[in-house]
Amino acid sequence: MKTQESMPTTKVARSAKFIETGFRIGGNYVKHFSKKLFNPDLSREELNEDNAEDIYNSLSELKGSALKIAQMLSMDKNVLPKAYVNKFTQSQYNAPPLSGPLIIKTFTKSFGKSPDKIFDTFNLNSIQAASIGQVHVATLNGKKLAIKVQYPGVADSISSDLKLVKPFAFRLLGMSEKELNIYIKEVEERLLEETDYQLEVRRSIEFSKACSNLKNTVFPVYYPELSSGKIITMDWIEGLHLKEFLATNPSQKLKNKIGQALWDFYNFQQHELKAVHADPHPGNFLITPDEKLAVIDFGCIKELPENFYQPFFSLVVPGLMDDKAKTIKAFRELDMIHPDDNKSQIEFYYKSYKEMISLFALPYRSKTFDFSKPEFFENLYAWGDKIAKMPEFKQPRGVKHFIYVNRTNFGLYTLLNELQATVKTDTFQPKIN
Amino acid sequence: MTSPDQIKKSYIDHVLTNGEAPKSVYNFAKSLKMSESDFYKIFSSFSMIEKKVWEDLTLQTLIKMKEQEIWPQYSSREKMLSFFYSYVEVLKTQRSFIIYTLKNHTKRLTTPEVLSDVKPLFENFSEDIINEGIDTGELAERKFISNRYKDALWVQFAFIINFWIDDDSAAFEKTDEAIERGINVSFDLFQKSPLDNLFEYGKFLSRNSKFREKMGI
Repeated sequence: MKTQESMPTTKVARSAKFIETGFRIGGNYVKHFSKKLFNPDLSREELNEDNAEDIYNSLSELKGSALKIAQMLSMDKNVLPKAYVNKFTQSQYNAPPLSGPLIIKTFTKSFGKSPDKIFDTFNLNSIQAASIGQVHVATLNGKKLAIKVQYPGVADSISSDLKLVKPFAFRLLGMSEKELNIYIKEVEERLLEETDYQLEVRRSIEFSKACSNLKNTVFPVYYPELSSGKIITMDWIEGLHLKEFLATNPSQKLKNKIGQALWDFYNFQQHELKAVHADPHPGNFLITPDEKLAVIDFGCIKELPENFYQPFFSLVVPGLMDDKAKTIKAFRELDMIHPDDNKSQIEFYYKSYKEMISLFALPYRSKTFDFSKPEFFENLYAWGDKIAKMPEFKQPRGVKHFIYVNRTNFGLYTLLNELQATVKTDTFQPKIN
Repeated sequence: MTSPDQIKKSYIDHVLTNGEAPKSVYNFAKSLKMSESDFYKIFSSFSMIEKKVWEDLTLQTLIKMKEQEIWPQYSSREKMLSFFYSYVEVLKTQRSFIIYTLKNHTKRLTTPEVLSDVKPLFENFSEDIINEGIDTGELAERKFISNRYKDALWVQFAFIINFWIDDDSAAFEKTDEAIERGINVSFDLFQKSPLDNLFEYGKFLSRNSKFREKMGI
């Protein structure tokens, strides 16, 4: 991998990068429409491909929160056209690393010692980028360790990055600034939490302890004494990423086993801990040689407050949605139906959201669910496509908690789909009062 | 007999406590219980002490840095980055005093007198790693220009120190970014670029003009 030698860090430099992208996207539109003059059949796919490429290129040079946003946009496959998704999915694995001396400096600042004085061995070439940091391999007392080092200045630049990324988000999602702000704020809060590595270590230890009874799920040991605000030290876990794992042609039984571990991991957290690892992108998981699911990143935790959890999951358990009044009440609590909606609007959103939740909750409606079935996902994407075109849904609806809960659950569904797994879905049931 | 180090320490202490240099060498020597002439055997003036502080900090950085096991594996670019990262760390131990010594220097484009001993040290170091880079092919050798590389790095030196003095970010994180960016830009310019190839190509064409005539171009 090529080492990135310069990182545009001041706001001006970052803006310049974004402006450049803006121009190029503008250019792509011009290109598209002038071609379309002569060839009306030209699909938007090509345009989307061009745009995605340009956005991705500038985002990956910016690193940090912008990259994180790219990752997040790519999670919601149902919102974005396919070309965006393909480009953005790249960002989950590739980002060029920072210079060796800076790594050493970061260690010296945290521990007063360079990494070679702390560990028996330390490889200065990072083996993996982790969106707001990079991962290095070290050994200590015969143990192989994974060390996550954060890029300097990341926390500083998150807010300004988000401000810069907003216009693109408006364009991509077709929302206005005012409507988007409440969501952007939620994203900003989570992103800022992610830059606090001390918090992450604390949570990782808490969550791996709380989840220790789950079958077939393992967690690395974390070393708080070798971690700081910018560095996390944990055990190195041998294993394959999802794509690599699938390339080994695992048996259906094994795929189901891993899929079940994923399902249990998420639903145990949602329904027992009421707080969930909200970053289900494939880079955060490994499949170990002894056929277990390893969870290696607790940067993003979404807590589910009761006033969200109760109405939302009451819709998921069978029964409630047969009762129209109760359903509308839940929709109101979740701000999916606004207080000033008129009668026909209420009827419209009631029907649309009922359709959506029924789709979403389908896996919960039976004892087992086969995530390899394409129909389920086609229906989900088709619904996403449909509402994207409806003017009624130009206004965002729903409380801010939806962003991360949707991201988590769609992310989970997508992972299970990629695994082609069939899982028992009744292992951890929603707890409705 | 008072050692140079002790004199240095007392001087720094005096300056930081009182916000100014001692009234006279006589006064200062007296407080150290030494004679004025003994003081002059070691330092000829107060500004000599200040220069010595800078020189010592710079030497300390150069030595400490080369002790790193990783040092021989670094490219020239990384060596320069490493120097500055270590340097601002070392300077941090005397930050208040450093700021004091530069406070009176307002003409930012000239080299402050207090750095006159540091400059040759840094330039020697720069030259060493530039030559090393040229030998390994990391950096481009350009007639007349490549022996000015070290001047460009000295400008970077001044810029980074000034930046660091004004830096108010937590743990001087912004200075780290300034180093990463600035040094990388310099080294990007020092290494082979398409312009070199264009230049070489032009040279090739002019050398082979006979061939061109024959081809009727």
